[in-house]
Amino acid sequence: MILRRVSLEVPSGSRTALVGPSGAGKTTLLRAIAGLEPIEGGRLDLGGHHLNGVPPHKRRVAFVFQEPRLLPNFDVIDNVAFGLRAAGGRRGERRARAAELLNEVGLAALAGRCVQGLSTGEQQRVALARALCSGPDLLLLDEPLAAVDPNRREGLRRLIVKIQEQRALTTILVTHDRAEAAELGQRVALMLEGRIIQHDEPETLFERPASPAVARFFGTPNLLRGHVIAGLLQVGDLALPVEGADGEAAFVIRPERIRIREQGSLRAEVREAAYLGSHVRLKLHCNQLVLEAHVPSDEAPSVGMEVGVELPEEYLWRLSEATGEPALAEAWDR
Amino acid sequence: MSKRRPFTWPIATTAVALFAFPLAALLVQAFGDEWRYPALLPQRFGLRGIHAAVASGAAGEALTNSAEIALATTALALVLGWPAARALAERRLRRPGPLLLLLALPLLVPTYATGTGLTTWFIQLGLADSVAGLVLAHLTVVLPYVALLLLPAFGPGLRDLEEMAMTTGAGPLRRLIHVSVPASRATVAAAALLGFLVSWSQYGLSLSVGGGIPTLPIVMLPFVRNDPEVAAAIALFFLAPVFLALLAASRAGRRVL
Repeated sequence: MILRRVSLEVPSGSRTALVGPSGAGKTTLLRAIAGLEPIEGGRLDLGGHHLNGVPPHKRRVAFVFQEPRLLPNFDVIDNVAFGLRAAGGRRGERRARAAELLNEVGLAALAGRCVQGLSTGEQQRVALARALCSGPDLLLLDEPLAAVDPNRREGLRRLIVKIQEQRALTTILVTHDRAEAAELGQRVALMLEGRIIQHDEPETLFERPASPAVARFFGTPNLLRGHVIAGLLQVGDLALPVEGADGEAAFVIRPERIRIREQGSLRAEVREAAYLGSHVRLKLHCNQLVLEAHVPSDEAPSVGMEVGVELPEEYLWRLSEATGEPALAEAWDR
Repeated sequence: MSKRRPFTWPIATTAVALFAFPLAALLVQAFGDEWRYPALLPQRFGLRGIHAAVASGAAGEALTNSAEIALATTALALVLGWPAARALAERRLRRPGPLLLLLALPLLVPTYATGTGLTTWFIQLGLADSVAGLVLAHLTVVLPYVALLLLPAFGPGLRDLEEMAMTTGAGPLRRLIHVSVPASRATVAAAALLGFLVSWSQYGLSLSVGGGIPTLPIVMLPFVRNDPEVAAAIALFFLAPVFLALLAASRAGRRVL
């Protein structure tokens, strides 16, 4: 993956989630920061130190990979202490430090165990402790939960947040899961096709996306393109009250903000209804407009019903660029 | 419950028999003080062959020389073969053909011919009839074997572990010691064993480059025609380090990375 015009500034002591679909360049960016991928141009700084050309082992940048990458010839505690061993630390000191970290990640009882017997979740905790052992200035986590059993992800998620906050350790975490990005990142950067499209607080990316591509990635497929004339958005035969200046415009609204009523001037037919546990996802056809709405299961209409649709004005978000980014939107569609 | 494998025993027995038969023949020959045609076994067993081999002193000196040369050659071949194999395995060369050809060349040419070619240069460089000269000469055939055997050691698995080591602060040397070599222990052990054996049993190069330095194959060969019992006794000396090398390699290779 080739990265182009990537600009990302991460505040010291913060936790940033780098999110995007597979092949967007997230891992490549992380690897470039760690020095595992060469960079041909640009500048990489960490706390005022220029990192271009610095070999990976001298960058003080720790990396937790998607797979734990533990050394099978070492037991758990020696795996954790590997960084100190590499730095020439004394055996007693490095084992004491590793024991503290194992305690912190909840694996103190497994210190002497061989790593092959551990679950993937436990192995990833060992990898996290190992990354922290040498006291890095920056922690990079590349989809650390991807290989972990879904039932154990919550615990590891909480652990990552706790460890980062206790140390105020600058952390960049890669994920392709937008919910995980919102939960783990104090700020979230969306990458599409080797570029960072928007870098902001999670709520902003969900509620106030910068482009249709961002909206789609963060679960807002409802794009209304039209013209604003005297406070009304004209989309085909529809006229919706909106704020803002007259002219060509594109608005988005999140599926959970759309309200379904029995009555209403905007009528739509329910073409699909998919039960998803926490809600029902509806596909609504309203003339040429197709909308997606999420409603509680006990309020969900049946397929084929005609319902009234309300698009609250306060939740209609006007995109800054009316035409959006078609190429990126298509990429995300793929 | 494990499945029974009906052919395991016959295959294992055949393999052991194939290995044991020539060894048994060697033992009988080495201790057969009197053995006249057409008897299948000697009429009298004794230690004449062993005494003759030890008394000449040549076997002891040859054993030391062979061990020194084989160990040094193997160590050098591992040091040089590692980066060569890595470059080939990780496809770092745009055109690996010439390097592969260069590696294979000494294997395609009879060793005596290679040795004859080297002798003139070695004489001029003062390396002929010296242990150092023999090590360099043996290296020409041992290095290709070692490099080619090391090829499977390199792959994504090793690269992943080395990347992990880099990001935990390990420099190149510590990565090699703590990660790369232990991770490819079995392959290194196999390469080292083969390298040792190729050098240990080298006759053509030893004769052409270092005829004045007795090694076991050089010392043993004249006895093969003249006194097979002494040749067999020397061959027993020949076998001992081979078994040790085999044992060490199999122990090293068995350890999980």
